[in-house]
Amino acid sequence: MSRKPYQPSMPANWWLKHPAYRFYMLREATVLPLLFFIGSLLYGLYCLSQGEASWLGWLNWMQQPWVMALNALALLASLFHAFTFFRLFPQVMPLRLGGRTLPASWMVAGQWLGVLLVFLALWWLLGGYHGSN
Amino acid sequence: MKQPDSIPSDKQHLSMTVQRYRPEQDDAPVWQSYQVPYDDSTSVLDALHWIKEQQDSSLAYRWSCRMAICGSCGVMVDGTPKLGCKTFLRDYPKGLKVAALANFPIEKDLIVDMNQFLHHLTALKPYLIGQPSSASEPNRQSPEQVKRYQQFANCINCGLCYSACPQFGLNPEFLGPAAIALAHRYNLDSRDQGKAERQPALNSKNGVWSCTFVGFCSTVCPKGVDPAAAINQGKIVSTMDGVIQWFSPKQLDTTPQEPTS
Ligand code: SF4
Ligand code: FES
Repeated sequence: MSRKPYQPSMPANWWLKHPAYRFYMLREATVLPLLFFIGSLLYGLYCLSQGEASWLGWLNWMQQPWVMALNALALLASLFHAFTFFRLFPQVMPLRLGGRTLPASWMVAGQWLGVLLVFLALWWLLGGYHGSN
Repeated sequence: MKQPDSIPSDKQHLSMTVQRYRPEQDDAPVWQSYQVPYDDSTSVLDALHWIKEQQDSSLAYRWSCRMAICGSCGVMVDGTPKLGCKTFLRDYPKGLKVAALANFPIEKDLIVDMNQFLHHLTALKPYLIGQPSSASEPNRQSPEQVKRYQQFANCINCGLCYSACPQFGLNPEFLGPAAIALAHRYNLDSRDQGKAERQPALNSKNGVWSCTFVGFCSTVCPKGVDPAAAINQGKIVSTMDGVIQWFSPKQLDTTPQEPTS
């Protein structure tokens, strides 16, 4: 008897078919609100180079509810992406100390500690700016 | 008819829907439901045995060890790749769907053709290379040296990770999780000197760089191999390899025919 193997094909919506794939696509989709955030920043830089009126216009533009909502979404998206990235990092770069691999949970905690430190440093810097005003 | 000892008939039942593909009569797979008796210890593989013995002797599937070590009983259970002998009906009280492993051609019912995977595996030379064999002296390895690769050596070639990988599904030329994990395992082995022979394939576009770290391969692996970790550690190795080649004058001498257009 001759063979007749059935060749399966991937449907275009394969990424909707399993929770693991949906999670993966959500992780990849975090780039979309971040693109908007980067666009906003570049727009601000451009306005800054165009003089004070233009800069104040940008500040107003940034305070519109829909812009604030999209940028809040970008913040959430980047935190979610950081969460997934920090979890993957120990898999990609296991740190070895004295012949032992550092527990993944330590590395994840260390990365969040780094985030906290950067956040506090920014808080302090910006707070100082406001204080001197 | 005699019941198999493991499943007396007074047990509770659930509905197991099994994918059938009979090449002599079907053009595409079809689903067929069976009411199977089960208790706490009934595995998917036990249930398939029961169907084959009691209901339908034409059902085709693979198995051997029935203890999660031979790697032959891989199937999709409700869309997730699993070992039939390590998956229990008690965890699916509402019934379950059992299909052939995804991303491989189906030969018959639950039997797939895994040649593509085996082809990739052999291409990456998963064995010790350049090891001086001396009959008088064993090759010594410290426990630390063993630990570096041990996790990646636990692979049983079940192919579940290939069924979990959308990149392999979209591009069967992708060398894939288990083959790359095993290449990484030998590259990490202190007794091996074959890295230079494996690296060209790993560096190629169907090597480590085809992986987008979906990570599902590591989730489904029944042996905790974590092939996604191996592949993405392999990206670092591949990058270092590229940097070394870039600065190596010897390499420039041996590749004079760079396209200049
Ligand atoms: S890496 Fe895990 S899932 Fe993949 S073939 Fe090996 S044992 Fe199976
Ligand atoms: S029968 Fe051997 S792994 Fe399941």
